[in-house]
Amino acid sequence: MGKIVYTCPYVPAEWVAAHGLVPSRVMVRTAGTSPAVGPKEGVCPYVRGFVDEVMSRNDVSGIVMTTVCDQMRRAFDIVVGRSKLPAFLMNVPNTWRSVAAQRLYVDELRRLSRFLVGLGGSAVSNGELAKVMLDYDTARSSLLAKRELMSGRQFAEMVAAFNMDGPGAVSANVAGCSAAPRGVPLAAVGGPMMAEDLDMFDVIEESGGRIVLDATESGERGICQRFDRRSIGDDPVTELAEAYFGGIQDASRRPNSGLYQWLKQHFEERGVRGVVLHRYVWCDMWHAELARLREWTDLPVLDVGVTGDCEADKHRAANQIGAFLEMLQ
Amino acid sequence: MTGVVRQISLDEWDRQYESLQRAGARRPGYVGPLGRHVQDGDRGLVRLRFDNSPAALRLWNFLLTEEDRLRQARTEGKKIVGAMKDLGTVPVMAYSLDNVVAFYPDGAWWIPCVMELSAGLLGIADSLGIDESFCPVRAMLGAFVTEAHFPIPDLLSCSVGATCDDFSAIAQRLNGLGYPIFWWEIPHRRSPEPGETAIELPGGFVAPQSQIEFVKSELQRVAAALEELAGQSLDEAKLAVGIERANQVRDCLAELRLLAFTAEVCPIPALEMLIAEMLTIHFCSDQNESLAVLQELLEEVKSRVAAGVGLLGPDAARIFWVNPVADLQVMNLLEECGARICGTEYLFSHALDKIPEDVPPLEALAQTALADPMVGSAADRARRICADIRRFGAEAVLVSRIPGASHCALEGEVIRQVVADELDIAVLEIEVPPLTDSMCPALMTRLQALVETVRERRKK
Repeated sequence: MGKIVYTCPYVPAEWVAAHGLVPSRVMVRTAGTSPAVGPKEGVCPYVRGFVDEVMSRNDVSGIVMTTVCDQMRRAFDIVVGRSKLPAFLMNVPNTWRSVAAQRLYVDELRRLSRFLVGLGGSAVSNGELAKVMLDYDTARSSLLAKRELMSGRQFAEMVAAFNMDGPGAVSANVAGCSAAPRGVPLAAVGGPMMAEDLDMFDVIEESGGRIVLDATESGERGICQRFDRRSIGDDPVTELAEAYFGGIQDASRRPNSGLYQWLKQHFEERGVRGVVLHRYVWCDMWHAELARLREWTDLPVLDVGVTGDCEADKHRAANQIGAFLEMLQ
Repeated sequence: MTGVVRQISLDEWDRQYESLQRAGARRPGYVGPLGRHVQDGDRGLVRLRFDNSPAALRLWNFLLTEEDRLRQARTEGKKIVGAMKDLGTVPVMAYSLDNVVAFYPDGAWWIPCVMELSAGLLGIADSLGIDESFCPVRAMLGAFVTEAHFPIPDLLSCSVGATCDDFSAIAQRLNGLGYPIFWWEIPHRRSPEPGETAIELPGGFVAPQSQIEFVKSELQRVAAALEELAGQSLDEAKLAVGIERANQVRDCLAELRLLAFTAEVCPIPALEMLIAEMLTIHFCSDQNESLAVLQELLEEVKSRVAAGVGLLGPDAARIFWVNPVADLQVMNLLEECGARICGTEYLFSHALDKIPEDVPPLEALAQTALADPMVGSAADRARRICADIRRFGAEAVLVSRIPGASHCALEGEVIRQVVADELDIAVLEIEVPPLTDSMCPALMTRLQALVETVRERRKK
């Protein structure tokens, strides 16, 4: 079966899988270095990494990118221009309160469907979609249920494995989790993390902290809300759209008040005592939230800016995190 | 027509203004010596060189007195709309109502240049967490906080979706500071798929009818918000008249651009043309007067072209300019290096294209909004640039990067590639911050190299 790669959380894996194709939401390994995207200056390291990653793979049938981030939207031009792989750009509205925006999201799912069928996917049926949704929902629930037993890295890697390989990756791995780390409860907030960025979680734990909320895009915040199982049978497409478009809160939404409601609820539930904002340089969306986050919460907020230069980033972050946790302990 | 066409300093203009006054020239009330704006804080004006025609004097005065007009409008009980990001769509709707004026808060990005950073707007943006890694449009945040550069609008609209992240993030920051914003969605313009009805948009891009329908529905929401603000209906008849008036401005500018870019001798400097193009986005808070200002400029240019006079010689390098500059002085530098502007794409070509008058008004405006070169792919934009290069006979392209802007990092290479493939002409990319004084020698060197390249190619 053809593998469809993407990285945006607003692309529902269930939708791809219901077409008989293999959804694979990639966790970018490292900031890209290829000259395909032009000079490094001004380009988000994650975007560079994603372009490098998808263009270097030979096990892929198609690429799905979205308009959520301007640089990713523009990187689509580069992917189309430099790669022979079929690529699809999905319009994901930034506004969310109007019926028209919600309808546009559903229309884009249907357009994506035509793209997937064009790649050899089968036409989607409500029955198949509902079945796939239930499988994914069950796997997500068991993953989230084990969260407290995992370190920050383990949880992030488990989410990444689920995103990349589907429900099977969860059932095979969650059973072994039993060692809950201790330390000052922290939340990691921000956009997507690259695999190499996960070292930050190790540093946090080595410094006496503990990630109780991974509110990055590649963590819990990038997971769709639970499905209403009663609705799946009646109208799975609407339920899917509601869980993804209505359920994932992001800095890019306009207004993004939903993000703060989500954070407030989770900070309180988890007893968060400090926030680590993980952001890439040149990611305006998250950079702009830093000051607002500091105004909005009474909790201390640490800004970890990632340039994509792994070694330098790591040393800088280690120093910052060490000092941050010293203050909190 | 002005006697000898040349660019003059601010001091020279003030002396010339006195001569005009003594000669009894009748000018609109807002026209005065440019030096008074320097006394008001616009001290960056002293770095610029201006066209020496009375038409240009009127243009500059019109631009620099916008704040007065906005405050006057408020005093008169009119409602003020701040139309952010859409560049030419919401203002057309707003000016269809007789008790509403619209302006473009994003225009505050030139305040640091014009006031030589003395207004402290960038410092305020810094203090709000929006530092120099963002586009200079961050100055807008400071302008809202100080309330010293425009009155706070009664309604703030902002298009989001297929827009640059800088502006979207800055607008969200503004929203977070307590300024309510009416958000409306502009989707990424895509090519029609098989079976979809394709519509050619103003300017030549093509979009599926379904996207036009979507944008139309968004503009209906905007219209409803404007109606509520104005306390009057914004029906099709009013919109049609509003579109007709906007097209008068656009027609005038189109004629001006064609003459300015294709005349054998450059009849008007790049800087005045940039300001003229800016007027069409939001009419500088007075639609009728902006038309009158452009008409006078057009007459001046017509007479210069007829007389075969202008700036530089006929051998000036013909440059197509992409993206607006944060420091206006750089437009002067181009001419100092022996080049002239023959075509522009300042991010808002859709605000210059005529709005269709043969379809229902909201559909026409939806088509116009979707024709925004920035909501589609950079390759589309580059192809439009190529079409305009052919039309205006430009010999090289200058892409001026806006520091920190999310689109600039990725689009330059795409534009370069498409232009190279289609036209095989030189493309130079430069970066222009709000104040370039310290960089001027380096910028001059690069611009001179581009001019030399053009001249060398002519020999082949």
